[in-house]
Amino acid sequence: MVAVEVERMLTLAEQCLERAKSFIGKNADPPDLPAFSSGSPVPAAGAPVATDQKSPSLRTSGHSRLLSDEVGEPSPFLPPEVFHKLQAVSSQDTSKKELTPIEEASRLNQKLKANYEARVARLRPGQAYQKTSLTLSLQRQMMENLIIAKARQDALQRKMEGRRLRLQEEANRRFAASGAMTPEEREQRLLYTNVLEYEQDHVIVKLLRKHQYRIYNRLYPIPVRTASGTFGVKSFSTDSSLSPSRSHNLIPKYDDKEVEEPSEQVTVDRENSFEDLEQFLTQVDWVPPHSSTDEPGSDADLVCNSSTEPEQDESHVQELEKRALKEHLKAIVKDIHIAIDQLLSLCLLSFECLNTASFKDLCLASIEEAFFTPLWSALVTLFRKVYIEREQAYEASVKLYGDISPGDIGIPLKLFPKDPASPQGSYPYESAVQELTLLIHDRCPQRKLECIVRTLRLICACAEDYRSLHEVDSTPRTAAIGADDLLPILSYVALRCRCPQLVSECAALEEFIHEGYLIGEEGYCLTSMQSALAYVESLHTGVAQLTAGKLI
Amino acid sequence: MAAGGAANSGKTYSFKVVLLGEGCVGKTSLVLRYCENKFNDKHITTLQASFLTKKLNITGKRVNLAIWDTAGQERFHALGPIYYRDSNGAILVYDITDEDSFQKVKNWVKELRKMLGNEICLCIVGKLSERLHMDTNISLRLVFVCSYAESVGAKHYHTSAKLNKGIEELFLDLCKRMMETAQAEERLKGNGASQSASSRRGVQIVDDEPQATPAGGCCSSG
Repeated sequence: MVAVEVERMLTLAEQCLERAKSFIGKNADPPDLPAFSSGSPVPAAGAPVATDQKSPSLRTSGHSRLLSDEVGEPSPFLPPEVFHKLQAVSSQDTSKKELTPIEEASRLNQKLKANYEARVARLRPGQAYQKTSLTLSLQRQMMENLIIAKARQDALQRKMEGRRLRLQEEANRRFAASGAMTPEEREQRLLYTNVLEYEQDHVIVKLLRKHQYRIYNRLYPIPVRTASGTFGVKSFSTDSSLSPSRSHNLIPKYDDKEVEEPSEQVTVDRENSFEDLEQFLTQVDWVPPHSSTDEPGSDADLVCNSSTEPEQDESHVQELEKRALKEHLKAIVKDIHIAIDQLLSLCLLSFECLNTASFKDLCLASIEEAFFTPLWSALVTLFRKVYIEREQAYEASVKLYGDISPGDIGIPLKLFPKDPASPQGSYPYESAVQELTLLIHDRCPQRKLECIVRTLRLICACAEDYRSLHEVDSTPRTAAIGADDLLPILSYVALRCRCPQLVSECAALEEFIHEGYLIGEEGYCLTSMQSALAYVESLHTGVAQLTAGKLI
Repeated sequence: MAAGGAANSGKTYSFKVVLLGEGCVGKTSLVLRYCENKFNDKHITTLQASFLTKKLNITGKRVNLAIWDTAGQERFHALGPIYYRDSNGAILVYDITDEDSFQKVKNWVKELRKMLGNEICLCIVGKLSERLHMDTNISLRLVFVCSYAESVGAKHYHTSAKLNKGIEELFLDLCKRMMETAQAEERLKGNGASQSASSRRGVQIVDDEPQATPAGGCCSSG
């Protein structure tokens, strides 16, 4: 009797083992991942990235390398794809999402399984009974976990659905008052619903990245071309890997994965103008530089008749290229303004409490900081390309007058130290010069503007100090520093800075300074800086004027 | 003057005023006087006399003035336009005894009118050194300058920064005129919104300037 009993028990155990084995085997197929966890990334190494993830998948091997690239100076510009991946990486890093119940359960189950495996491994071969019971209890626990998780997930989903409907209604209500909707309003409403539906900042961040990517894509062809040193217009359109049309094509691909292209309506005209530019460049391409005339090409022959002088032709091409670059820059600047405006209105729409003047400023400042930081070096490269002549003029002046004395540039005698034999090779207003050289290291217009303000303040402080040295006993400061004194000093500081990039940086700042700042101290400082730079640029043309010394 | 009061008291006007004048005429001390004087606290910013701000309350409305000093030296004249774009007012200073400095003022007036049309309110200020007393020569000269000022839609004052005479009055009057211009522009926008929206610059309020009569008018201070 006992034997029969034992035999039945053993059979049962065997069956159980079989089941357990098959169960484990099934689960082990993807190494560590339970088959039922889907829809979200699991941080296990080698695990396939879940399919419905919003950002494109990223190979884990490339991960660390990309991050280190970001820290270092991006000396050659990253191709747009890499730029985009960087964006994805940084957004992944910042958005440590909460796990869904199912994900949580699968993590728990993984732990259980690991425990189980450890314990099974410790069992001696004879302890089959314990093994069976362990297997069974593992199975039971895992099933329970999953069932509970499923129930929780369902409840959550119902709750989310209810919330979504409620928010949709709210959005409808908010926009109902306006009656007939313009395209912008419709777009705003769509965005607003999206904002309410997902975590709010997430949508804004996504939009930000999209705009950044779009703009980077349009900036990228220019710097690369500059870096490779080709000056002909040809490379612009013939090199298909760098042609703007490609970047143009990339955009929709990216957009499809995003919110259903909410900005389409706004950007349509921009895209058109971009196509215009492309078309324009193609026309430019029809006029080949004389070096390429030996190439067999029907259109080359065609234009050769019209262009007689090769030098003329060359300069003509350069002229056209310059114009194209200027147009391109203008379009990009406009695009950036549109993008920032859109981001700001989205921010204010989602966080109503921010809709006061001061919060709006703060909001704008943080948007700009996030927006410009990764883009600035590419942006300023384009600006430098457009303002190359002004930079060259600046350089020429620096070559001639870099070591000019403060008196010769027209700074009144009382506003710099009498004794030129200053300690360890320092010179007047050195602190202001040092401050100004920091400008190019900032990556955000607002910061740069603050740097210029600090420079001018330092100048005033220095001037005050120098004057007090002169007026030991005379009447205590009857006059303060006015523009008559400030501009010569600022010109001196700009000259001493020996940094041609300042010209382009200031030109860029002028495009991106807020209207509210234009009238205030920041606006005044930028204007003065621009004037001083323009004066420095003009110096090398008026040699006689300056050697005469007295310029006041 | 527009009737002030509570109706529109929430509004704050922000005006930009450029200060023009030859290097030696002492425009800096004039504006410094004005900004330092009133409440006796230092309104001087860290940029000293180059850039000054002043808050005023005129007929119940708040006005923020930003006063931009410009370099008077000849070699910086070409850079002027970037200073005076979007200005609401300009103060042009000359030395009564210096014909040359007045000639410069005339040039600036021409340039400002060309750039900003009638939207900018002009003040021409003759600086009177206190060593000088009024003789017939100077009086005659002032009459001439006054008629010139009127002909270009500007107002003329003469003042001595040392004695702080007429400065307060000058700025107050300038502010009132700038407010009128701003209000006229607002009205214009309110009436024909669709038409004037695009043309911020260029639409002129022609009837604005001949009213040379209100308090502190031409040559009133002595």
